[in-house]
Amino acid sequence: MTEFFFIGGLPWWAILLVALGALALLVQQFLGLKQRLGARAGGLLTSLRALVYAALIFFLLSPGLVEKRVHKLRRPLTVLLDTSQSMSFPAAPSAGRDAEQGKSRIDLVKEKLSEGKEPLIQRLARDYDLRFYQFSTRLEPIGPASLGRLEARGKGSRLLEALREASLDGGPQAGILLFSDGIANGESGPLDESASFPVPIFPVGVGDVQGFTDLRITDLSAPEFAFRGRELKIDLTVQAYGLAGKSVPLYFNRGTNLVSSRTIAIDKEAFEQRLTLSYTPREIGPHSFSLTLPPQAGELTTQNNQREFKIEVQRDKLRVLTLSGAPSWNYRFLRMALKQDPFIDLISFVFLRTPTDSVDVPDNQLSLIPFPIDEIFLEELKNFDVLLFDDFSHRAYFNVLYLERIRDFVRDGGGFAMLGGLRSFDSGGYAETPLRELLPVELDGKGGFQTGTSLRGVLTAAGKSHPITRLLPDLRANEEAWKKMPMLTSLNQIARARGEVLLTAAPDGASGGSPLLAVGRHGKGRTLALASDDFWRWNFGAVGAKESPQNHLKLVRQAVRWLAQEPSFEQVQIKSIGGPRAPGEKIDFKIRVVKDDFTPASHAALRLRVIGPEGEQIPVEAAPEAEEGEYSADFTPTREGSYRLEAEAMLAGKPLGRDRKSFPVAFPFGEVEDGRPRPELLKKIADRSQGEFIPLSDWNESSLKRITAKLEAAAPSQAVERRQVALWSTLWTFSLILLLLGGEWWLRRTWGLV
Amino acid sequence: MKRRDFIRTLLYGLIAAGLAPGRAAAGQPGEQSRVSRFVFAQLKYRGGDWNPHPLAVTPLMEELMQRTSVEAAASRREVSLADQDLFSHPFLYMTGRYDFEPFTQDEIETFRRFLSYGGFLLADDALGQPGYGFDRSLRREIKRIFPDKEFRRLPTGHSALRSYYLLRRIGGMRSVHPYLEGIALGNATPVIYCQNDLGGAWERDQLGNWLNPCTPGGEEQRRDAFHLGINLILYAMTENYKEDLIHVPFIRRRLSR
Repeated sequence: MTEFFFIGGLPWWAILLVALGALALLVQQFLGLKQRLGARAGGLLTSLRALVYAALIFFLLSPGLVEKRVHKLRRPLTVLLDTSQSMSFPAAPSAGRDAEQGKSRIDLVKEKLSEGKEPLIQRLARDYDLRFYQFSTRLEPIGPASLGRLEARGKGSRLLEALREASLDGGPQAGILLFSDGIANGESGPLDESASFPVPIFPVGVGDVQGFTDLRITDLSAPEFAFRGRELKIDLTVQAYGLAGKSVPLYFNRGTNLVSSRTIAIDKEAFEQRLTLSYTPREIGPHSFSLTLPPQAGELTTQNNQREFKIEVQRDKLRVLTLSGAPSWNYRFLRMALKQDPFIDLISFVFLRTPTDSVDVPDNQLSLIPFPIDEIFLEELKNFDVLLFDDFSHRAYFNVLYLERIRDFVRDGGGFAMLGGLRSFDSGGYAETPLRELLPVELDGKGGFQTGTSLRGVLTAAGKSHPITRLLPDLRANEEAWKKMPMLTSLNQIARARGEVLLTAAPDGASGGSPLLAVGRHGKGRTLALASDDFWRWNFGAVGAKESPQNHLKLVRQAVRWLAQEPSFEQVQIKSIGGPRAPGEKIDFKIRVVKDDFTPASHAALRLRVIGPEGEQIPVEAAPEAEEGEYSADFTPTREGSYRLEAEAMLAGKPLGRDRKSFPVAFPFGEVEDGRPRPELLKKIADRSQGEFIPLSDWNESSLKRITAKLEAAAPSQAVERRQVALWSTLWTFSLILLLLGGEWWLRRTWGLV
Repeated sequence: MKRRDFIRTLLYGLIAAGLAPGRAAAGQPGEQSRVSRFVFAQLKYRGGDWNPHPLAVTPLMEELMQRTSVEAAASRREVSLADQDLFSHPFLYMTGRYDFEPFTQDEIETFRRFLSYGGFLLADDALGQPGYGFDRSLRREIKRIFPDKEFRRLPTGHSALRSYYLLRRIGGMRSVHPYLEGIALGNATPVIYCQNDLGGAWERDQLGNWLNPCTPGGEEQRRDAFHLGINLILYAMTENYKEDLIHVPFIRRRLSR
């Protein structure tokens, strides 16, 4: 195809001006020639000149020719095939009615692409520049020949992400033919109103919504931690499709024990109900729970009928029991420290009267209550975290056999502290009791109780870093704080400590001295000895010196927490469980181990094990890190479920402690949780991209024609080649002008004008 | 009867009858004389009469030692607000008859710290004239210490009235008010004020004779004064211990009889 055009070297008005000037010249020339040669000869010469002028003006317009050639192109077409797990579900829910309906979604797609004399995939490869991909969690190019071998095993459907990636692949003229059930569980949120795609997308939906049957638990929300004795809430949603009119039970179990059950009446085809379950844990430690909906006939998958989860139950408050031999300032300020702490529940007994004290009124005029010995030592002791003997001797009140209960309590993980006074340590007659073996100081029956001497608590090397005596984060500031602590005036004389000594009692300015504060272990529990009944002065004495009483309060609270083995006072701490926490993905563990004095333990024997979903124990090797006391390990789970990491460390044959943490392992997509096809999403995608949604069952010969037409309308698949030829710059046009001028000159000469 | 109940009953019976093993068994021989845990500190101040009953404390301390497990020094300690060891004695007794000089600003600051961080003041009006003398000066100074606080009557269920004896009456040498007043800070009452002249009721000469008659209730009123003194000391040392839940049902049951 050829087109004529003017390039236009001069503007139109200039050309018009030139033309008028030329016309004026021609008129003047004709009038002059007409007088000399007559009208006929004058007209001839003027005509020749007019032709010359016309040719010049024509050239001023820069005439040219454009030659166009149209080429037909092969349009890029991207075919995406969903190979996520949901595509393995039967295409028709009521499978089994006939062979066709029993086929999986992916089987139907494969058939559609490969059936007939000239399979669809081959026709597409012939007519288009075909780009063939499968996708689940990622987009993967494949060849048409591998179609028969494709299987739906992908753990997720990153449908929208795959579409966005593929739409950039073929350029603006491309189109996308998508075969999917419409399940999208990637990172992208729902398709919003403003979403658009750069190329038309033609989703071919597979899977039948009609008759789809499923019962599932979804949107489970359970706390990772809960507190003993405090009700916890578990929120969940029960969804049901195709089960209208049925009632199904929901079982809430802890381990194998039924906690509660609830009947859910399903009143419509697409049913959804939000539920809240509650449970009050009575024990500390990991609790395994499950929620179960019994499988229903015709369900595509029953994996989503059950959910398992773990909750770590902790103490809500530290329960501290104190027995005080008499009212004292120590008790007064100890009580103040513990009562003001919102995380400590204090039960205290103060023996206001000894058996030798006489009263002058009947008992009913006294506020004294009987000390419930049996309730405390035979029944309730296990429910406390810490037991404190504050200047208390058992001798006047109960048999030494009750002290064995205290020994057992500590051996099983409880905390026990003996605070000094006239009734404590050797003065309290504990040298011949079961408490002797668990205290962190040695009792020989000879240690007395000394008063009247001013003594200062001096930090030992262990005390400088121990969490009980670390009142300030900065080491130097902490030492200074201890140097400023008021003097004490009483001391239980103790020859030696068996555990770590954190403070010694020495006259002002002196070093060394006998143990004042010592800590130790017995079995799984911890023990503490503070050999003075005068440490209330660290509070009120500091106030008198215009210092803060906080150091005393902090010391008491830290001591109680250490005794109770609060997680932050654990010597073995699982610091992090990092990684994606999905099957096949590596998970990193970081563990910190410190010695009894809380300095880093670099050569501890650290034993790690992972408890799997079925209770299987998997040992894990730990390796020390560059930073002292830090250890790391990794573990790759093979399947989904709830796991628990347990860490236990020993140093020189002595246990340092243990820690445990639960962690879930799951694919992030929840692919099989809800296998309901989503044709509505596929329709939206088609609308937003100017494409067309075609159910697989409706696919026929005209489908491909419609797709071709729509693609053509959106962006024609041709290319136009243009070639320009300038007419004015040719030799022929120049010769024509010369010929006309030459003819005019010859006539003028002939007629005697030159 | 179950074994547990039997042991409890036996123990309580032993305690009530004073037949259980003695306190001396709790310490080393000779130690007890050196141990003085509770010291009755009396505040000296300028002006007025800070010491109207010089012999009041020893009888109270003897009573305290005889009736309770508190280890106490037999004699009092006199302290002023400027003394270095003021904060070694969290219990402070302040009495008098007449107007006294205002505290200095430093003394006010010290007293405020003392009372705000665990100290306790028992104020006792030996004149018994509301609005005059000691009463007027005390209220003035307490207002300076706690400008936004007012003396309020202690409710009958206050811990100070239940810390040892279940008190229904307020004893003293006189019977000016049948109630105590106090300044509350949070859950604590660090200042308790009695206008019935407790010191006058406690005072006894070295021959064992009471120095002041108690009117109008006589010896019963004196006994109430001793009971109140003991209760207030135990309250200072145990704070709201008797409000702990474990005590409440027992106390309620006894009060209902």
